[in-house]
Amino acid sequence: MATLRLNGIRKRYPNGITALHGIDLSVADGELIVVVGPSGCGKSTLLRTVAGLESISDGELMINEQRVNALEPAERDIAMVFQNYALYPHMSVFENMAYALKNRGTPKDEIRRRVTDTARLLDLAELLDRRPRQLSGGQRQRVAMGRAIVREPQVFLFDEPLSNLDAKLRVQMRLEIRRLQKRLGITSVYVTHDQVEAMTLADRLVVMNGGHVEQCGTPMMLYAQPATRFVASFLGSPAMNFLPLAAHRDAVVLPNGAQVALPDMLSAGRAATLGIRPEHLVEAASQPEAAAVLDVTVEMLEPLGADTLAYTRLPGLDEWLVVRLDGAHAAREGQRLSLAFAMANCHVFDAQGMRVPVSNEASVSLREAQ
Amino acid sequence: MHYRRPGLDRLSHALLALCCLLFLLPVWLAFTASTHTLDALYSQTASLWFGEAGWGNYRHLLSGSFGGLGTDVLTLLINSTIMALGIAIGKIAISVLAAYAIVFFRFPFRRLCFWLIFITLMLPVEVRILPTFEVVADLGLLDSYAGLILPLIASATATFLMRQFFLTVPPELVEAARIDGAGPWRFLRDILLPLSKTNLAALFVIMFLYGWNQYLWPLLITNDADYLTIVVSLKRLLTSADGLVPWQNVTATAILAMLPPVAVILLMQRYFVKGLVDSEK
Ligand SMILES: Nc1ncnc2c1ncn2[C@@H]1O[C@H](COP(=O)(O)OP(=O)(O)OP(=O)(O)O)[C@@H](O)[C@H]1O
Ligand SMILES: [Mg+2]
Repeated sequence: MATLRLNGIRKRYPNGITALHGIDLSVADGELIVVVGPSGCGKSTLLRTVAGLESISDGELMINEQRVNALEPAERDIAMVFQNYALYPHMSVFENMAYALKNRGTPKDEIRRRVTDTARLLDLAELLDRRPRQLSGGQRQRVAMGRAIVREPQVFLFDEPLSNLDAKLRVQMRLEIRRLQKRLGITSVYVTHDQVEAMTLADRLVVMNGGHVEQCGTPMMLYAQPATRFVASFLGSPAMNFLPLAAHRDAVVLPNGAQVALPDMLSAGRAATLGIRPEHLVEAASQPEAAAVLDVTVEMLEPLGADTLAYTRLPGLDEWLVVRLDGAHAAREGQRLSLAFAMANCHVFDAQGMRVPVSNEASVSLREAQ
Repeated sequence: MHYRRPGLDRLSHALLALCCLLFLLPVWLAFTASTHTLDALYSQTASLWFGEAGWGNYRHLLSGSFGGLGTDVLTLLINSTIMALGIAIGKIAISVLAAYAIVFFRFPFRRLCFWLIFITLMLPVEVRILPTFEVVADLGLLDSYAGLILPLIASATATFLMRQFFLTVPPELVEAARIDGAGPWRFLRDILLPLSKTNLAALFVIMFLYGWNQYLWPLLITNDADYLTIVVSLKRLLTSADGLVPWQNVTATAILAMLPPVAVILLMQRYFVKGLVDSEK
């Protein structure tokens, strides 16, 4: 049972690269925090400084409100699951799982009991005598989990533990990890660059970018209220559409020339980008109360079964405008569509990419394109 | 590669057999010669078959001093074995530790240390043999096992090979061990050495042969027949006899001198194969 707290953690590598610029994060007991971000944003570095594999340049790391900056990894009582599992190739599954306990001087019969219990939990009981190379990828992954679980650590750290598995196994192990983590109630930090994994696993999600925390909150909160344009673009697949806005007196102008009045906006001048998720663009016909603003041409269709993604062209916009249509929609390439959206579903960002608050009740009022 | 061509198969087997014969011929000649009497050897042309002396020559060699050496073959074999084992084990111990330090520890001048070790590769033993002799003589190690072994156990080659192997150990393995609470010695003993088994076996064979075949150094520092090694004695047998060279003794000693290295190779070969099968991937 443990809490984990990071106070302004900085990491500067000897070669001068600053990988973490002051991370503040507080993890409650039994919580599963998922850290996501693009490659090179410092996710692994964050995990490794928590593990004690990298020294902390500045800031404080607290486990159970005890400062552990100077402790060796083994003394911090954490367990880590590596991307490539890092199982000891010359040891059997049993020995792999028992090694940490053995090093701590745990009595033999207790080691045996704990390893067999954990093996049963993970469905590994039949495999205890095998060597890692005699296991499938999923089994190796489970052994790596078992090696972490058997120690009953204060904190679990996962560094992209599922990225070496195929898609189906990944989904299965994702559920497994979620189930085990809840059942054991061990405080965990989980790093991934897969946003589906992040959304589904997390109690709270931390989105990182360039060594900073962009936003931290529940997955749905981050999805619905992204604090920055970066978070908005990072979460969701396909990504959010962004329309550059031009200021025009009391309104803003979309790339196709249509004006949008943002009634309660404190300063229309701040708004630089309008973000709309593909599922929030609907056909104007189905929403008679919203005026059709966006007349687009379908350029490409991606049928996914339940949905069909339409890559459409909006005059004046360089990128595609992606629309999520119903799977049964009879759209054809080259067809014209009239799209509408509700202001409540829009995200407005300023030139720095920060969210500009827009009242949810504000309805979009549109004027003729000029 | 396997081509389905019976003709090619037969040809390559024939070639292989021929080469084996060629390699075996000198050994065979030496072996048969060692079973002839001296008179027989000098009175006829080289015979390809066993002579009438049989095991008598060997019994003679093993039972007492002969050929003016002042010792018997058994002592020679024991001396050589002690020296070769000492050199092989010492070299491996030192190079494993040196490579371990260089690869896994961050200390000042680490790179310099590596290069210093590496540079000694470029100095052949013969260049430094006289100063080494001085040192060993000053330490009073002439005519002793320590004198035979110690100056030869620092090995840049072995250090370099072990370093190259250690570099291939994935860093995550080191980190996993650190998290599992394995200190430096535990990591070396529980993880690094078991992983290096195949390499160590190969290195042991090479170093054992190197030690066994030492000639110049033992020749220099041993006068006492009690510390004579078998390889040195072979040369001495050829020259010490006034008049006729006792070929039957020379060949028999040579055959005996081959046995321990062959035994070591056969023994270690099992470990290569086992190691290869075990630790692949
Ligand atoms: N040992 C190191 N020495 C110097 N710089 C490093 C070191 N490890 C990482 N970095 C740098 O620190 C930054 C963050 O790296 P990190 O490995 O934490 O990224 P990441 O978010 O885990 O990326 P990925 O998703 O690709 O694993 C990168 O710019 C990287 O180049
Ligand atoms: Mg990483």
